[in-house]
Amino acid sequence: STTTSVKFDLKTYWSNLIGEINKNLDDAIQVQYPDLIYRAMRYSVLAKGAKRAPPVMCIAAYELFGGSRAAAFPTACALEMVHAASLIHDDLPCMDDDPSRRGQPSNHTVFGVDMAILAGDALFPLGFRHIVSHTPTDLVPESRILRVIAEIARSVGSTGMAAGQFLDLEGGPNAIDFIQEKKFGEMSECSAVCGGLLAGAGEEEIQSLRRYGRAVGVLYEVVDKVMEERKKTGTENGSEKKKQGKSYVSIYGVEKAMKIAEDLREKAKRELDGFEKYGDRVVPLYSFVDYAVDRGFTTDVW
Amino acid sequence: LKPEEPKPLKFDFKDYMISKASSVNQALESAVSAKEPLKIHESMRYSLLAGGKRVRPILCIAACELVGGNESISMPAACAIEMIHTMSLIHDDLPCMDNDDLRRGKPTNHKVFGEDVAVLAGDALLAFAFEHIATATLGVPPARIVRVVGELAKAIGAEGLVAGQVVDINSEGLSDVGLEHLEFIHEHKTAKLLEASVVLGAILGGGSNEDVEKLRKFARCIGLLFQVVDDILDVTKSSQELGKTAGKDLVADKVTYPKLMGIDESREFAEKLKREAEEQLVGFDPLKAAPLIALSNYIAYRQN
Repeated sequence: STTTSVKFDLKTYWSNLIGEINKNLDDAIQVQYPDLIYRAMRYSVLAKGAKRAPPVMCIAAYELFGGSRAAAFPTACALEMVHAASLIHDDLPCMDDDPSRRGQPSNHTVFGVDMAILAGDALFPLGFRHIVSHTPTDLVPESRILRVIAEIARSVGSTGMAAGQFLDLEGGPNAIDFIQEKKFGEMSECSAVCGGLLAGAGEEEIQSLRRYGRAVGVLYEVVDKVMEERKKTGTENGSEKKKQGKSYVSIYGVEKAMKIAEDLREKAKRELDGFEKYGDRVVPLYSFVDYAVDRGFTTDVW
Repeated sequence: LKPEEPKPLKFDFKDYMISKASSVNQALESAVSAKEPLKIHESMRYSLLAGGKRVRPILCIAACELVGGNESISMPAACAIEMIHTMSLIHDDLPCMDNDDLRRGKPTNHKVFGEDVAVLAGDALLAFAFEHIATATLGVPPARIVRVVGELAKAIGAEGLVAGQVVDINSEGLSDVGLEHLEFIHEHKTAKLLEASVVLGAILGGGSNEDVEKLRKFARCIGLLFQVVDDILDVTKSSQELGKTAGKDLVADKVTYPKLMGIDESREFAEKLKREAEEQLVGFDPLKAAPLIALSNYIAYRQN
């Protein structure tokens, strides 16, 4: 039900990108002395089953405006490093206390809490460093690189993801929208915005990408939780999580959560209306939205 | 009466430090304001504004001024370095790391705000350091700022600060730790950030590559010097004088310079490092180099 009739194969688009992203990440984190920290970083960044949604979103947003993909790749990979850092810290015993992540033991379960904290502390700066040392400055002027750095830093910081995590742990009863947007919308928002910034998009276009990305990020999370809930029905307790975070499903139930998901789908697509002038290049951004709800295909990489 | 001989201009280190620290404190205070969510920002401010001598930011500013820059263009980077330093202390003090209850004479961050907030406040300070450099550095070509981001990121990651922390953690209880191993820890855990402080200032101030590399070497020497002196103080001073738990490094079976080479040899080593540091400043305007020379003296002869 996309607004365009162009045949676009999201699965192929996504799988091709994942291969290239994984190779870049593998090269960017080579084990050296002291081995343990590099192994801990690689364990989470190169985890099998990682969907690479932030980098793919970043590249799709960049390609909306044309230009060589090489310009966006370093930032795309950096987003994945920063994302991994944030997940490692979220899983810690003093936070969500999650013993597993993406079907494998979480970082601190394998490497210990001290190494998990340090792996996160090392992945944040590695992301920034990767951007400044790999982004071709003949394609992206330094002033844009600085805006990307600032955008990523703001997203993971005390008014972004860290704020979402904090309120999820300690927040009041009405914090649900804020938590969902900060904890799950922020990374996606940041990814779309970074793509636009690298391409030199105008301020209004950046704002559209911002709202689009935020809606898509929350949408994925809502649908994930609905799917988890449906899978759980009939089985014993599917979750090993000790401290269950707040979600739309846990607060409003599946029905209302699906209604919220539909609204988010509408909202995300509305933001893309202004990009019709870019023709077919906007199609990948539409397809993420529908995929988030329909999950029309699965492969090993998902 | 003979007219009075013109006195050589004397550099007043104490005045210099007080005035620079006060500028840095003001800049930090306004950079990290108390906003929503209040508790995280209070936690960040609690550790960031806890006093401290601001040696790192002052090194950054002094290096910038040495090569021809001014205080204001280096201030965001100077503050960023203090944010990173603070962040590493907050995470280092956590129960799963060094498990410290006191820092600069006050309860550690997680003691006051809880472990979860302490982890998040550290992460937020780390991120904000980069945001602050990228958005608040004014009057400097973007290419220089990008270079500064790269230098800082390298200094604090798995090839820098974190490497030192990892090796340090893994050395506890080891009986046959050699000098090379100890130097790896200190070069990474302490010297890298001091090096970054100086190098960031030199880059922002528009120093030539040769200037930047000389100052890098200067910083490496005083970085190691800082740690050697710290180790010496740890065995010779009491907790009260230091404002932290003294002798802890010995109790926890950590290796220190006095343990490996003895107190007298450690003192000689410190002298050698200080001389090497000062040699790097030969050739710069002596007036502008005075703060850095005084800082290396201060690091060498401080009592806490």
